[in-house]
Amino acid sequence: MSEELIQIETPFAFNEENQREFDELIGRYPIKEAAMLPTLHLAQRQAGYITPAVMKYVAEQLEVTVMKVKDVVTFYPMFFEEPVGEYVIRVCHTLPCALRDCKVVLDHLKAKLDTDIASETNLAKGTTADGKFTLMKVECLASCDVAPVIMVNDDLYKNLTPEKVDELLAKLAS
Amino acid sequence: MIKKIEERRILYEHLDVPDINTFDVFRQYDGYTRFEKAIAEYQPDDIAKMVMDSGLKGRGGAGFSTGLKWSFVPKDIKPCYLCCNADESEPGTFSNRYVLEKNPHLLIEGILICCYAMGIETTYIYIRGEFTLGKKMLDAAIKEAYEKGYLGKDIRGTGLNVDIYSHPGAGAYICGEETGLIESLEGKRGQPRNKPPFPAVEGVFMKPTVVQNVETLCNLPFIVGNGVEWYTQMGPTYADTRSDPPTPDPNTGTKLYCISGDVNEPGVYELDLGLTCTELIEVAGGLRGEEVKAVIPGGSSAPILTHYELDTRLDFTSLTLAKSMLGSGGIIVMNETRNIVDCLLNIMKFYAHESCGQCTPCRWGTPWVRDIVQRIADGNGRKDTITRPKFGVAENGRWGDTGETEDIYEDLDLLESVANNIANVDTMTWNTICVFGIAVSWPAVSYLRKFRPEFEAAIREGKLVTLPVAEATVPPEENYAYQQRFIPKEFADL
Repeated sequence: MSEELIQIETPFAFNEENQREFDELIGRYPIKEAAMLPTLHLAQRQAGYITPAVMKYVAEQLEVTVMKVKDVVTFYPMFFEEPVGEYVIRVCHTLPCALRDCKVVLDHLKAKLDTDIASETNLAKGTTADGKFTLMKVECLASCDVAPVIMVNDDLYKNLTPEKVDELLAKLAS
Repeated sequence: MIKKIEERRILYEHLDVPDINTFDVFRQYDGYTRFEKAIAEYQPDDIAKMVMDSGLKGRGGAGFSTGLKWSFVPKDIKPCYLCCNADESEPGTFSNRYVLEKNPHLLIEGILICCYAMGIETTYIYIRGEFTLGKKMLDAAIKEAYEKGYLGKDIRGTGLNVDIYSHPGAGAYICGEETGLIESLEGKRGQPRNKPPFPAVEGVFMKPTVVQNVETLCNLPFIVGNGVEWYTQMGPTYADTRSDPPTPDPNTGTKLYCISGDVNEPGVYELDLGLTCTELIEVAGGLRGEEVKAVIPGGSSAPILTHYELDTRLDFTSLTLAKSMLGSGGIIVMNETRNIVDCLLNIMKFYAHESCGQCTPCRWGTPWVRDIVQRIADGNGRKDTITRPKFGVAENGRWGDTGETEDIYEDLDLLESVANNIANVDTMTWNTICVFGIAVSWPAVSYLRKFRPEFEAAIREGKLVTLPVAEATVPPEENYAYQQRFIPKEFADL
């Protein structure tokens, strides 16, 4: 309980580099609110996930209510409201990947990482005990020609097999 | 004899040239010369007329005439915005990704031509949040174009001002819908708006807005560079006989067909519009498996085609007449080992997840449909057997009630009813704000009607049963889900 309170009260502010990027962003739109998504991406990159303090800060910067920021954060699956692992593994499981056995890849990842699949409301469920990986299913990643695919943070990995997954995990763990 | 079909690469011609993403290499391959030609030789209205005459149809999904869309934009309200839709999320579609990652300058050139024609000074490229590499390449290309004087103030001394900004999405499928995209661009939840007013009149920041797909904009440099005549000879032009005299219905140009699923060489193939499913599968290295069971012709929202319909031409008009759609050109092929109930379950999970939750029929209907299909797939599909009074020669050899029984598949009727109440596929009316509703009920109802034997078998047997191709579907003559397919005579031997 006390930990949660501390987390809420830890203030957030952009670091110098992000502040510069934010200043550039805000000039692109006739209204400040329009910079919402890029700003939240920026904040999430810095803070790891969107805490109440981040929402408050973003709201102040964009001159909107905190509720409006919360409204947006809850709508988009790419914004996390809970801590996630160092590597977020997104496994595509939509039809073209399903036709190319993405289930094998997913089951292999599950067994290998010894974790469940995160749901949008419970990211901790899919995070490994050491906090290194978060495993989640996502909808189509628009790479159906090289299915099955996964995304690890910003990188796409194609034509996966259990062997390739092993190689990848070994690389990430080192 | 089967004629060997070759790709006609126009948009993708220089895609694999090393470093084509840099300004200098792009310039070597005629980069920006089409834009220079446009500003030197044509007035803005000439460009708009060329686009209208070329018959270019929007490649994003709806297939609406680009020239016509531009003509709706009021000339006297400024500023006017261009939104480039790079939120490619339709399952089975992946052609924009390659343009953004490998040849972003082509998109910038297309945008410049559009901006010149429409008098637009600000463009937002709404790029999918997951396209991190694409965004990186695009941002680098935009920066380079600014440095070289092709973006910014007073471009090439013509007094033209154009700014391009990339705007990342955050993983919501519905932001690919044009008004959803606009809402999202304004920094809100990506919930589509009621139309009218259409974006052409009142779009982003309440100003007239042109929303175009990446592929549509990439066509513009080639229309300007090579002329309308060159462009219109690619792809069929049909005659729309609903009006008198018949109006031409152009399906001109090439299409970036994205083919995935059970083919040997999945990928993007750039071909003239109007080739058949069979030909496309041939181009993609042939089928992986013995027999084609089904083909999804235009991304997962498109109604499915069965093996009876493989001669359907993959263009906007023919597929509409076949009660399906070309959509974004994402073709998914399924072979004889696939279970259609299982495939539908996968797609319905997608839609249940991606419904934005704004309209009640969609918010509640999509999970409901998913749950019914899940129940059938789990083997718990509801069925009832009733005794139907039918008079005839009974068992005892005398005239009377034969005591015949009939199976009633409650869940299948329920599935069709719920799907049709989100959006009715027969009347083409929907109870939702946007066309997401029809994107749900189209697959649900078409899979069910065309592959009903497989659904019935799953309920009857209490588990998923994959029937042989011939038994899994019903011939077109016996099924109202099909419509007479339309192959115009003058193109029959193309």
